[in-house]
Amino acid sequence: MPVSSNRRPVFLNLAKIQMPVGSLTSITHRVTGMLLAVGVPFCIYLLDLSLQGPLGYGQAIATLDNLWVKGMLILLIWALAHHLLAGVRHLLSDIDIGSQLPAARRSAWIVNLGGVGVALLAAGALL
Amino acid sequence: MRFSIFRYNPERDEKPYMQAFEVDLEPTDRMLLDAILRIKDTRDDSLTLRKSCREGVCGSDAMNINGRNGLACVTPLRELREPVELRPLPSFPVIRDLVVDMTQFFKQYHSIKPYLVNDEDPPEKERPQSPQERDKLDGSYECILCACCTSQCPSSWWNPDKFVGPAGLIQAYRFIVDSRDRATQERLDDLNDPYRLFRCRTIMNCTEVCPKGLSPSRAIERIRLKMLKVDGDDGGMELHRVPPIR
Amino acid sequence: MRTTVTGLRAWLVQRVTAVYMLLFILLFLAHAIVDPPHSYPAWRAWLMNSGVSIATGVFFAALLAHAWVGVRDVIIDYVHPVALRVCLLALLGFGLAAMAAWVMRILWMLHG
Repeated sequence: MPVSSNRRPVFLNLAKIQMPVGSLTSITHRVTGMLLAVGVPFCIYLLDLSLQGPLGYGQAIATLDNLWVKGMLILLIWALAHHLLAGVRHLLSDIDIGSQLPAARRSAWIVNLGGVGVALLAAGALL
Repeated sequence: MRFSIFRYNPERDEKPYMQAFEVDLEPTDRMLLDAILRIKDTRDDSLTLRKSCREGVCGSDAMNINGRNGLACVTPLRELREPVELRPLPSFPVIRDLVVDMTQFFKQYHSIKPYLVNDEDPPEKERPQSPQERDKLDGSYECILCACCTSQCPSSWWNPDKFVGPAGLIQAYRFIVDSRDRATQERLDDLNDPYRLFRCRTIMNCTEVCPKGLSPSRAIERIRLKMLKVDGDDGGMELHRVPPIR
Repeated sequence: MRTTVTGLRAWLVQRVTAVYMLLFILLFLAHAIVDPPHSYPAWRAWLMNSGVSIATGVFFAALLAHAWVGVRDVIIDYVHPVALRVCLLALLGFGLAAMAAWVMRILWMLHG
């Protein structure tokens, strides 16, 4: 149980604190950002491989045939879609578009569902 | 009506616990504060909370109600899911039961210099301000410093000593747009470091829970634009309908 | 302790790089749908186009700058012991610099 510096207890049980839809969008924005950051080296690796010659190109394409890799790719596509949509929501909010509560809640739903939608489309195309 | 209330007495308890209450309400008990006082009256008068105006203007009875911060005195009982779970404001040190230590909160508030800074010779009467200039304060002056916003803000949870928090920042905005203030650039510069304003990720929990319908997140966005010297909207901000607590 | 306008500058870098990457990704996707490169020669030729090459280089520069601001934010939020925070930020910096060098090498070797 968390305590403050002067030993007084603190209520910070995240399971008991409500998470409005916008905060879900926000934490997922952060998580997908970290996922993408981890995925960047792999993408650069594939880029490198694909440009090393016809053999490398073939190998790069072949890695994408593996089911595990496809799964990871769908996860990264979901991550990119959510991160991108949430990012656009932030950019618009910066210039005062959709920064009031009712509009912000609607856009949060659109982002959350949109990301999943894109992932499902990708799954459909890849699997 | 059934309640589950956070209890902690530092003189007796090693750690906090939730206590269940069942109370018969009078027909005149409309708001959550009425019910809490009814519990104090009929079940356990050691239950400790802060309360004063009972009409949503002093900010004393801010607490976490079914997971969402709000003022007990203006939260209708009728819509609350039972058992109603009452806890103190998240992340603030608990002094006793529902009473929290607001020191850090007020420290951040004071750090933004919440007073007019104007060293020009004072005029004979007031420092004049046109109605249009006065309108700019709408949507930020109404803050009652209840701390619902700051204690629901994850960035404040993780860095309470360095991030000013939504309440401090909306008050900073209130003075930044006040035409009588002469320290605008200093105020903007003061907020310009990785922590004081820029921990804000526009999560918008603050705007969700403000019991006065204010939008601290929007005020913070406006401060950023001012730092960039972009000619943004300076006008007053509208209040929004406060989402009901269930 | 404030020396430079680090708060505002980092935020601006994050926003500006985001806009560039958004445009790049949309154009890339449009090209991949309308005229996908089906073979190694086609893929290589497309990337060797100087416009595409430069735009891709800029894309990766933007990506790494954006990742720097983003991951740094996460570290600043959650890592409080100063020594650990400095170490992690340094690791992040070196990791991103390494990736920048890797991409530069790939694009450089492409032009043989």
